Amino acid sequence: MLLTLLHKEFLLEFRQRYALSGIVLYVFSMVFVVYIASIKVNAQVWNVLFWLIVLFASINAVVKSFVQESGSRQLYYYQIADPSMLLLAKIIYNTLLLLTLSGLSFGAYSLVAGNPVKDMPLFCLTVGLGSVGFSIAFTFIASIAAKANNSATLMAILSFPVILPILLTLVRLSQIALRLIQDTSYKRDIINLLAIDVILLTLTFVLFPFIWKD
Amino acid sequence: MWWKTLSVLLVLYALAVGMFVPLKPGIAYVSPETAKSGDSLRLTLHGYNTYYTRSRAEEIRVWLQFDSAQAVMGKNLRILSDTTLEASFILPADLPRSRPSVMLNAILDHPSDGVSLLPSAVEIKRDTTANSRTSWNQNPVQSLHIIKDFSFPYRNVIYESIRNTFYHVPRWFALMFLFAASVLSSVRFLLSKKLDFDRRASALAEAGLLFGIMGLVTGMLWANYTWGAPWSNDIKQLMTAVVLLIHLAYFILRRSFDEPEKGARLSAVYNIFAFASLIPLLYIVPRMFASLHPGSTGNPAFGSQDLDNTMRMVFYPAILGFTGIGFWLAQLRTRAKRVEDRMIGLD
Repeated sequence: MLLTLLHKEFLLEFRQRYALSGIVLYVFSMVFVVYIASIKVNAQVWNVLFWLIVLFASINAVVKSFVQESGSRQLYYYQIADPSMLLLAKIIYNTLLLLTLSGLSFGAYSLVAGNPVKDMPLFCLTVGLGSVGFSIAFTFIASIAAKANNSATLMAILSFPVILPILLTLVRLSQIALRLIQDTSYKRDIINLLAIDVILLTLTFVLFPFIWKD
Repeated sequence: MWWKTLSVLLVLYALAVGMFVPLKPGIAYVSPETAKSGDSLRLTLHGYNTYYTRSRAEEIRVWLQFDSAQAVMGKNLRILSDTTLEASFILPADLPRSRPSVMLNAILDHPSDGVSLLPSAVEIKRDTTANSRTSWNQNPVQSLHIIKDFSFPYRNVIYESIRNTFYHVPRWFALMFLFAASVLSSVRFLLSKKLDFDRRASALAEAGLLFGIMGLVTGMLWANYTWGAPWSNDIKQLMTAVVLLIHLAYFILRRSFDEPEKGARLSAVYNIFAFASLIPLLYIVPRMFASLHPGSTGNPAFGSQDLDNTMRMVFYPAILGFTGIGFWLAQLRTRAKRVEDRMIGLD
């Protein structure tokens, strides 16, 4: 069931390729702005800009997950499939999408602004955990925002405060990976991040039944 | 109802007692602030809320103290006024630690004022050529007059602004209670679908937002006085801004639907989701960053050493009073919303 739904998401993406290519172009434009704005970026600024690029690219990538299909078609899905499975499929798909996006952003960004990362495994882990956290929070917020009239604005307003604890932890972890701060007990931060993800995911499943039923 | 009267009385009590009870006597500053080892130092102590003239000079004792065992006692005390006092110290030739300089605390014991202390009052630099007959452990600090009266502690840096503890901190307690009640109402709305619970949830969130803004303003006033700037990107200030943002987003979400039931349902869901994301925000994230707040370096709670028994007698009633007033405000807002909804035929 989950696999079929996941397959549907990929198929949808593959058929309307403009969505993914639009986001990729968005990432490259942001990276280009960084490039023309400042050629030499120090590690502290590099870190902040990287997460800003990933954050806004993620919001823009996830916001479409519930608005790209019409309301009546959504309702049809909810009738033939378990709604929470549908949500889970979207979360998994968005995680993969965000992982790809973060990888692309990192590649393009380090091409124009250099690559100050000293601890690559930790940095990759941070980006991976970040994609999971962003995906859970943004997919859920997108399902709320899709019901409203001005979903794009609402998406940014609603998701920013919710994502902040994750973002702060991510910035801190990647500062450690860039050797900007010395901290050997970063495993605790990783556990915090996983705990936040688990809390948000649990709540997502508890609350989603109240969202999709109109 | 009885609890409304009680909370008004408690807030009035906190305002009156918190503002009018004096601070304990303290030492504002001493001059000179530096000396060399082996010096004979004539030190002037400037007191705050003190009445030095109420007892004779022989009864007052002054120390420059390094730790509980090592101190130099002042001789030849002269009282210049209620708030100024002179004393002579013959400093030992050696320092208690093998460092180039040490900081000494000034301690003053007065029969009627009690004990006052100024931490790191005088810096003593090592003078290798000095010679002096005194030693550090001749006159340890002992047999102090501990005066138990109804007054607030005198703390350097915060001074009189210690009273803000009764108006700044209880507002955060009230805010947390109000937001928790708001989330509870949202849960009950989702379970029962009664619009009344939704009105209550939004009214409680409005009252909470008001208390949040008041807490932020009182905090910024206090920060301007003690930290030198109203906003210093302290992690708790940032977290507060985020808490307020969440609830502003909640109000925007409520208003962006055409059907009231749908808006109520989705904003209730967001209220619960945002509150859950607040838990790591308030209890995990502050532990990761240094903070200027008391009990900092990781502890988000209010430390027990920050309150003495006199302050507790005002602090706890203030929490109850402000929380009660918050719930009263929310109740009034709920009723107003119910009337509004009836007028347009919603309920």
